[in-house]
Amino acid sequence: MEALAQFFAIYGSLINFIGINAILALSLYLTLAAGQLSMGSAAFAGIGGYTAGILTMKLGVPFLPAVAAGSVVAGIAGLLIGLPVLRLTGVFLAIATLSFGEVVRIAVLNVDITGGAQGLVGIPNHTKTWGIYLALMVVGYGIARLRYSRIGWCFESIREDETAAKAMGIDTTYYKILAFVLGAMLAGFAGALYAHLNYLITPREFGFSVAVDLLIYNIVGGTRAWYGPVFGAILLTALPEILRGTGITAGPMRMATNGLILLAVILFLPNGLVSIFRRTGTKREKSPLAASEEA
Amino acid sequence: MDLLAQQLVNGLFIGSVYGLFAIGYTLVFGVLDILNLAHAAVFTLGGLIALWLVETCGLSIWMAFPASVLICGLLGLLLDRVAFAPLRQRADSNFSGLISSIAMAIIFESAALGLFGARTVRFPAHTVSVSVWRWEGLSITSLQVEIVAISILLMFALTQFLNRARVGKAIRAVAENDRTARLLGIHVDGIIAFTFFISSALGGAAGILFGLYFDSLSPDMGRSIELKGLAVIILGGMGSIPGAILGGLAFGLSEVLTVAITGTSNLRDAVAFTVLFTVLVLRPSGLFGRKKLREA
Amino acid sequence: MHNVQRRKLIVVALFMAAGLFSGQICTQSFAAATEAKIGFAFSMTGAAASYGATQTKGAQMAVDEINAAAGAEGIKISPIFEDDASVPQQGINVFNKFINADKVSLIIGPTLSNTAQVTDRIAQTAGVPVLAISNTAKGITEIGDFIFRDSLTEMVVIPNTIKIVKEKFGVKKVAVFYGNDDAFTKGGYEAFKKALADAGMEILTEQTFAKGDRDFSPQLTQIKGKNPDAIIVSALVEEASGIVSQARQLGIPATVPIIGGNGFNSPALIKNAGEAAEGVIMGAAWNVTSTNPVNTKFVEAFTAKNGGAPDQFAAQAYTGVYIAYEALKKAGSTTDHKAIRDALLQLKDLDTVLGKFSFTPERDANHVPVVQIVKGGKFAVLE
Repeated sequence: MEALAQFFAIYGSLINFIGINAILALSLYLTLAAGQLSMGSAAFAGIGGYTAGILTMKLGVPFLPAVAAGSVVAGIAGLLIGLPVLRLTGVFLAIATLSFGEVVRIAVLNVDITGGAQGLVGIPNHTKTWGIYLALMVVGYGIARLRYSRIGWCFESIREDETAAKAMGIDTTYYKILAFVLGAMLAGFAGALYAHLNYLITPREFGFSVAVDLLIYNIVGGTRAWYGPVFGAILLTALPEILRGTGITAGPMRMATNGLILLAVILFLPNGLVSIFRRTGTKREKSPLAASEEA
Repeated sequence: MDLLAQQLVNGLFIGSVYGLFAIGYTLVFGVLDILNLAHAAVFTLGGLIALWLVETCGLSIWMAFPASVLICGLLGLLLDRVAFAPLRQRADSNFSGLISSIAMAIIFESAALGLFGARTVRFPAHTVSVSVWRWEGLSITSLQVEIVAISILLMFALTQFLNRARVGKAIRAVAENDRTARLLGIHVDGIIAFTFFISSALGGAAGILFGLYFDSLSPDMGRSIELKGLAVIILGGMGSIPGAILGGLAFGLSEVLTVAITGTSNLRDAVAFTVLFTVLVLRPSGLFGRKKLREA
Repeated sequence: MHNVQRRKLIVVALFMAAGLFSGQICTQSFAAATEAKIGFAFSMTGAAASYGATQTKGAQMAVDEINAAAGAEGIKISPIFEDDASVPQQGINVFNKFINADKVSLIIGPTLSNTAQVTDRIAQTAGVPVLAISNTAKGITEIGDFIFRDSLTEMVVIPNTIKIVKEKFGVKKVAVFYGNDDAFTKGGYEAFKKALADAGMEILTEQTFAKGDRDFSPQLTQIKGKNPDAIIVSALVEEASGIVSQARQLGIPATVPIIGGNGFNSPALIKNAGEAAEGVIMGAAWNVTSTNPVNTKFVEAFTAKNGGAPDQFAAQAYTGVYIAYEALKKAGSTTDHKAIRDALLQLKDLDTVLGKFSFTPERDANHVPVVQIVKGGKFAVLE
């Protein structure tokens, strides 16, 4: 028992971090599921995190309502941004959401209430490990169910071929915005949890490189099922520690390993690492549209 | 009055470096419809390799510059070979190309980190002899003039090349429609590889000039210019070389003037990204881009 | 099918956990009764890497000297050096490791006040003493009674600097240029502002920059346009180097001195800014030419070992290790944190490289500051 307690003392923050990254990866997954490459997840997480942090710190709002508020505010931001931006496709959408993310980061940097560049210091530590993983399981379950609901199939059809979906009478705009807003809310939720983890959040933690990391978790894990991004998040967040155990500690080597894994996946396993397991998957998963799936 | 003039000089100077960087970006996008996010990493490596050549190998900067530019061109070929060519057959090649360029960027940056260390390094003093010219309160260094001259020269050479030379025209043909180009007997894969060569060479050149002027090189120096380069090519229009040049200058000026007016560097990027966002929403093809927007 | 998949995942997860766990057990070392583990949290990479590098050298030298002299009965120091990457997030991980995994006697560091703001809270809650050796911003020792520092604060050094500058150069109007994204540079700015007001000097303009900025010409051009008598800069060494060289390049004459805070006290400034660094003035806690015998011995040994003279950061790190050692001896224990804390507090007039050293009741450093000027490529005392 003592050894277990020690394990948590050392790796506690890593385990927390893995959980949060998994939820964040899922928030990106939601938009990818509808075929949208949104790079704004990090910014929405930041909005959620700062909102919740300011509420608990300055206004003494209790933890859960603050987190909910953070989520909602992020969702509203998602709606406001989504409307003008969802006309764009592919790379342009990615760049637009990215620039939105940068504008948010700079705004936060310059406003006093967010503590500026030094961030919010002294946020009460409310987030517990079990809370994070409970949330992760609920979210994972929810997304898994979503996949086979009407909404999920609409997302899937938009992702595969938007024009055909429109021709079939699906209100693609509505569903795209829905995916975007849900993704934003989930990101805001994760951000709010994260804010209450380590006393401190800074604008740097919600910037461009984080957005790229989330994309990498999704790609490496695989975007065909909800456990793909989760797996990607777990693997890549824990990777530095695993490498440390095998003796590879230098910063460059870890970074290079991340890059090499991503390259290998995109070249040889474009559906992510989880597709290794799914080769033994059930027939139920394959819809006729899957014929276009590159294996 | 000369305050404004000095700020304009500052802005034009940094703008020409941005423009040089952006040209490489937009060249690849115009030809391949792919965003090569490893471009910033090549920018970084260009500067660091030049530093290594000057410091460790004792070359003069006039030798190290072309040598490093050449090496960056070769890195571009490597990029094409490893990260882009294998994916060309795929239906979603734009997206997967983007991802693999991110992967290569990470690998390049970790190489820079491993080979050159995490610290900020500098070209040895007197690598380039600098004289300062003062005139009516305006201050311009010879280094600034040299850098602007080199940037303009390279940009001009590229534009001429694309318009006049056979290979240049072939590149434009492939950019227009690669299938037709193939039918016309153009060796498309080779042209694409060559485009990468030029693009990365230019990126590396921009990195060396940046490092020379700001007297500081570090493995993450690409980060700051990565997003700006993106903004520049969107503003100027993806695939348009004049757009990239003008966009770069406009960007440089807006940056400098924003900082001058607000007295703080915090908002420097805000103006840029707000403009970028607005341009994307209102007119995604940018100022000079092609009207039809391909699926990217 | 699903069961097979699930089993595979579980097995993988177990292996990962086992890997993490076993790696941890193997690296854990058990300290002998007279061995004290000290955790050094320095910035070896990132914005503060220049400081971290010399701090490591200074600390290592002190550790080696102490261990060599310890003999069979004395306390040996078992140092653990970790990199906090100049950012609070990494500092948190490092402190957690020191406190929970390595179970150190005390922690020396972190390099930046910006990081200390966050990490020291963790140590305070855990009741582990922290001896800062380069934190000079406000609000560090206020975090709690386990937090100490041997580095003179900006609140002490800067007013002294301004006073002397006013006397020697008759400065009346200044421009202020500071980094607004770091606790240290911002704190330095506030200290400068107060000192300037107390000295009756006028601030013509205030400009700011951020860590990692390379281009300072827009702000410097504005500053030049105002024609100040002097430019006050609160920056870390990377930015300071850029500011100093670009200021001269832009044509700000040498008759307008640049005055800096603690961030300027690194030889990296002279190396990077080259000739532009001539005549730059900064307040400091230590000067290499000080004739105090402990110091001359230290400077000789350091120069012989490292091929170059030490800087203030190395000096304060070296002093910090000796202070910690004295406290450990007095406390008579390497594990009783409260005893170590009390012993630190009671130290009086210890002979160190910095001079006679004591802690104030608020656990800050207590000794006389100096004002330095760069002359002939070296730090000299401003006469």
